[in-house]
Amino acid sequence: MKKKLLLISLMIMILALTLPAVTVLAAPPTQSGGQDYVIVADDWLSKLADKFLGDILSYPAITYYTNQKNAEDSSYAKIKNSDEIEVGWKVYIPSKEEADAYFKKQVSNVGAAGGIKIGALAPLSAPGSVTGGTAMKAAFEIALDEINAAGGVLGKPVQLVLVDTEGLPERGTAAMERLINQDKVVGVVGEYHSAVGLTAKEVAHANHMPTIFAETWNDKITSVEYPEVFRIAPVSSEVAGVDAHFIQSLGVKSVVIMTENTGYGIPAAEETTKRLADLGISATTFSADLGTQEFSSIIERIKAANPDLILVLLTGETSYNFEEQAAEAGIGPQDVKMICNQVADDSDSFWTNVPDGKNCFYRRVGLPRALYTDATKAFVAKYTEKTGKTSAESYAMEAYDSLKLMAQAINEAKSTDPDAIISALEHISYNGALGTITFPYGTHNPIPAGTDAKWWHQFPKPAITMVQYQEKGQSSADAAVVFPDAYKTADPILP
Amino acid sequence: MEHAYYFWWALLWIIGWGAVGGIVTPRIYSKKDLDVSQAALAGTAIGAAGGPFALAPLWYLTPRLNWKWVVVPGVVILAIFAASFAAADPNNLCVTNGPFVATQVTNGLIVGIIYGLMALGLTLIFSIVGIVSFAHGEFYMIGGMAVYYFTVVWFPGMSPFWGILLAAALTFALGAAFELLFLRVMNTGKVERPDEYAILVTFGLSFFLQYFTLALVGANPKKVQRFLDFPAFGLPSANHPTVLKVTSSTVNLFNTISISSPRLTAALMSLVLLGLLLWFLQKTWLGKALRAVSQDRAAAVTGINPDTMNTLAFGIGTMLAGLAGAALVQVFSWVPWVGTLASARGFVIIVLGGMGSLPGAFIGGLIVGVVEALGAGCVPDPQRAAAYIPAYGMVILTLVLLLKPTGLFGREL
Repeated sequence: MKKKLLLISLMIMILALTLPAVTVLAAPPTQSGGQDYVIVADDWLSKLADKFLGDILSYPAITYYTNQKNAEDSSYAKIKNSDEIEVGWKVYIPSKEEADAYFKKQVSNVGAAGGIKIGALAPLSAPGSVTGGTAMKAAFEIALDEINAAGGVLGKPVQLVLVDTEGLPERGTAAMERLINQDKVVGVVGEYHSAVGLTAKEVAHANHMPTIFAETWNDKITSVEYPEVFRIAPVSSEVAGVDAHFIQSLGVKSVVIMTENTGYGIPAAEETTKRLADLGISATTFSADLGTQEFSSIIERIKAANPDLILVLLTGETSYNFEEQAAEAGIGPQDVKMICNQVADDSDSFWTNVPDGKNCFYRRVGLPRALYTDATKAFVAKYTEKTGKTSAESYAMEAYDSLKLMAQAINEAKSTDPDAIISALEHISYNGALGTITFPYGTHNPIPAGTDAKWWHQFPKPAITMVQYQEKGQSSADAAVVFPDAYKTADPILP
Repeated sequence: MEHAYYFWWALLWIIGWGAVGGIVTPRIYSKKDLDVSQAALAGTAIGAAGGPFALAPLWYLTPRLNWKWVVVPGVVILAIFAASFAAADPNNLCVTNGPFVATQVTNGLIVGIIYGLMALGLTLIFSIVGIVSFAHGEFYMIGGMAVYYFTVVWFPGMSPFWGILLAAALTFALGAAFELLFLRVMNTGKVERPDEYAILVTFGLSFFLQYFTLALVGANPKKVQRFLDFPAFGLPSANHPTVLKVTSSTVNLFNTISISSPRLTAALMSLVLLGLLLWFLQKTWLGKALRAVSQDRAAAVTGINPDTMNTLAFGIGTMLAGLAGAALVQVFSWVPWVGTLASARGFVIIVLGGMGSLPGAFIGGLIVGVVEALGAGCVPDPQRAAAYIPAYGMVILTLVLLLKPTGLFGREL
């Protein structure tokens, strides 16, 4: 019985593997021009596809073109389901060229009935940051409502296809392929984890799919200079620079970096160590897997290292576990200077999980409160109402902006053609929650010699500030900005 | 490591002579027509500890082997391991700093006790119902969530004691109901392949519970304030607490080992529960009936209904997981997927201790706790030390399975 099952599944797998090859090797076209055809008994679409187009798998093209014709001329049938056709229906059988065009997606994917599909990536289950992913999902929904309330894009409603990436690199590849091949989206936005962004960008590049990454910081996402890939999140190495200069301003000599074992955490720790070394500050890195709960052994080692400052690059609830356990062991933010993880910006959640988190510093991406634009205020109002949080996290703002940005680019391109969208993005000036987004360097303006390749298709100015919870239970909206001096609202409280 | 070669040579010695001892000793014993049941294990241990100097006399004299012939060389092996590590990395904190090691071991024991409670339920279900429950981690998660919702959201101010009791009742009821609805059918002969069925149905339950909870409560991590504020005092006196210093949040022993009070509360809770469970299984009629069914389902002839015992055992097992969660929701941030890693560790522990053995689950928990703590504390590279945490337990598990496939306290086959 088991053997039989194994054999059957093996055969199915072999079949599945050879199918794409079959479509390529199929017979040459037997018809040069498209034609009308009336269904007779015993017809089915794949049989017609085989007869006229030389390939039984071409039947979706018949469905597609017939429905297109039906929109203009009701004498053509409307095929709701390719498996159910009736005798007497008039269908349109496309030419081989038309069918090819359909399959190569040169024909716009804008159906008469369906809207324009935009894909979105976000981690919605563990081991990804579900906290980040659900925040991004809420932000996408706000952006989508606004876009459709304003008439959609190219006069058609926008449909958002949100795929869960689980924070896993291999899921990034699969999700991107699904969006491109199955959902036939015209552009992709979002994602939180760098590890996912790194693999997803390869699929985007291979399929020429315009993509705007929202919260993936790894330098390599833009430094490979793919024409399709844009980013509005800060670049990891620049963030490391801000961290290093802030640490220097506190007069610190030795630092412990507690990082996560991921595509974001390891390079970020390395970059920060390098930047700190340039400033004459020594750093030791400890790393742990995402999802680690128990930190007491590591905390004892950190205690023994006796650092002046602890920088937490763990994300999500893993960072809460570390910060609270450090406080319980006597090296919390009230005992040693501690830069907590940026997820502390969700203050309700932070104070529930890290009740001893007073005096935590954390890095905030996005405009300081004093510089909020009208767009930022409008978004924060909608977001806080929708989620019940006290303010909007940077990744929520980025998710919101990435989708609105894509919609504006398609409108400005006046087409869903990838090249037109990319060109529109390169010339765009968009006002959103993060401020005015532009992409100074790209094919239109190559990166000058001497400038780092990471600036390719990169939003150059996401504002980065250091803030501090100076009172227990403080809302993130009231947290004091302590760095850089340009945005400062209070002096840092030091232990 | 400055002189890493000391360590690697010692390891090579242990593995090499251990293998020689393990392979050759049983052959010599069987040639001399002696009892070979312990020969492989003891041979490996003696070879690894003493190399040719111990193996030669062993093979010549071939004494009767019992557990002492495993334990004594085992201690020697640990000593060789520790000495070579100290020689290889003389500046390591684990070598130079006694209090540091003491703290790590204490932390490991405390965490190990809590791991043990989690594994206890899993092993109880295995020994009585005869299935491996893949949904165990989810009951652990539900236990913690229930305490949070009862004491923080629904009835703010409710004593954690009642919260824990309610969580226990909830996880017991859920477990018993699941057993009645989905697992009882296994014993009726209506399911063609009961073993595979049990795996699939508990896997399904695990996914359902995890994502259903996610949908209900959302992804934001939750945590409960510590259950007990300890009264502040010191020994020998409050002003000079050289032996013991207790504050509301920590307990400090000899001014070196400090344990946070939520952890200590959780560990004490686990010990009490273990005691209660042992009392229940040994002294009460129901407990004896459970053990009878675990030995042979034919216990039915004495008037015990094995189906009822199954339901009871599954309920108690899930309740123990729920109680472990309830104890830990004040220590860790709680999210719907918190059980995934915990149940993976539970499997390691029960296989290590011997499937179905209650003391095995508890001792296994302690071993995993201490090994993880020492591994994360002593591995020289700080970048790798904590990242390898799941691997430390696996190394021990592999070794035990290689040498004693039934686990430390498993029933001999």
